[in-house]
Amino acid sequence: MSIETSRPNEPLAAMGWHTIGPFFPRTFFKEGDNDLTRLHPAAEPTARGERIILHGRVLEDGGGPCVNAVLEAWQADAGGRFRHPLDPGHAQADPDFLGWGRAWTDETGHFEFHTVMPGGFPDAAGSRAPHVNLAILGSGIMRRLVTTVFFPGFAAANASDPVLLALPEDGLRQRLVAAEDGEQGGVRRFRFDLLLRGTPEEETPFFVD
Amino acid sequence: MLNGLPDRFLPYDEAGQPQVPIAGYPNTVRRHPSRPLFRRPVTRTELTGPLDLAGKLLPGDSNLAVSRDGHAALGQLVHISGRVLDEDGRPVRNAIVEIWQANAAGRYFNPLDQRDAPLDPNFVGNGRALTGEEGEYAFFTIRPGAYPVPNSGRWWRPPHVHFSILGPGSLSRLVTQMYFPGDPLNAHDRLLNSLPDPAARERLVAREVPTEEVEGEWLAYRHRFVLRGRHATPGEA
Repeated sequence: MSIETSRPNEPLAAMGWHTIGPFFPRTFFKEGDNDLTRLHPAAEPTARGERIILHGRVLEDGGGPCVNAVLEAWQADAGGRFRHPLDPGHAQADPDFLGWGRAWTDETGHFEFHTVMPGGFPDAAGSRAPHVNLAILGSGIMRRLVTTVFFPGFAAANASDPVLLALPEDGLRQRLVAAEDGEQGGVRRFRFDLLLRGTPEEETPFFVD
Repeated sequence: MLNGLPDRFLPYDEAGQPQVPIAGYPNTVRRHPSRPLFRRPVTRTELTGPLDLAGKLLPGDSNLAVSRDGHAALGQLVHISGRVLDEDGRPVRNAIVEIWQANAAGRYFNPLDQRDAPLDPNFVGNGRALTGEEGEYAFFTIRPGAYPVPNSGRWWRPPHVHFSILGPGSLSRLVTQMYFPGDPLNAHDRLLNSLPDPAARERLVAREVPTEEVEGEWLAYRHRFVLRGRHATPGEA
């Protein structure tokens, strides 16, 4: 079969996005897709770091649940490293930690991820506080919405995080810090609710992708 | 040293991306932030992404046209193939490519699709594959039917296939839809028309392979995907 030729460095335009629509297949989801701590469902979870649960609800304008949204999470390991060549410390990254997970929201808009508390790391843009990047896909969301979850208990690191500081007001920054939400079987839980559209006082800040 | 992975992610050209709201699609309002998106610095978290998702998102389901127990789905058999490239035209290897679509009657195998059109017991309509060394992918499926969007003033979605592609960085993610060339509904589709640039719309339409060039008894389409991402070092392979 012939393959179209293309020259390296021939500039091409990045393709246009579309929504996932209302019918993203539930059959795509397998048990453990929302677990960032294992490389694959049959693998042992990583032994490094503090296991945590990150959960919350996705809400739309008016506060109703955003049902069937898909959330994708990506974060550094407990030592603040990524198993990716663009991380200069990737050789020291946790070999048993995937760092990526996918969840979908139920009829109440609820989602849940199982992961470890990420480590912070130095970066050219400034020192990053522990954080989890979230992308939200859903019917009517023509381009994914992206935001970042931070954690309480890292006040000093959060105060100098270059992404948090990209928000112009402290009230907006506070909205990206998850709330402590008790324990489940000895695992700390953190709650992070997302309001996709609302009043300026309530709407979750989202970033240019 | 970077294994050919892109390390520069330029802003999207807005003319080539969907603009909202879209008439008859209220979720493009109630799920869209009222405030402009905030600019942030791009750091390691955004540049990197999972490189080994195939253990988690299992590929190997690239023939949607035949059921698990070997029965052919109803509809016109089609083959969709092409390559996944980055903005420098380099192949994106080991990308996860997920597709899903309606059956030949325009109905999805999904409990949320309650439209009064028949389900095909031999068609689930989703698949997943991994791109090869040249960024190539291929699926067998059936041509999906068109369907009307409820409560939208007779807006019909043209036949389309949903694609979700996970590339080598968080920023090289793409979710889009593929359209079939020559379908009269394409010109009226509100999603396709939400891209202001006609050339960008054209890039979402597949190319039909002349039937005499097709190796078997199916219709074939070629479709190229370009993920975001460029390379700081020109010429690095």
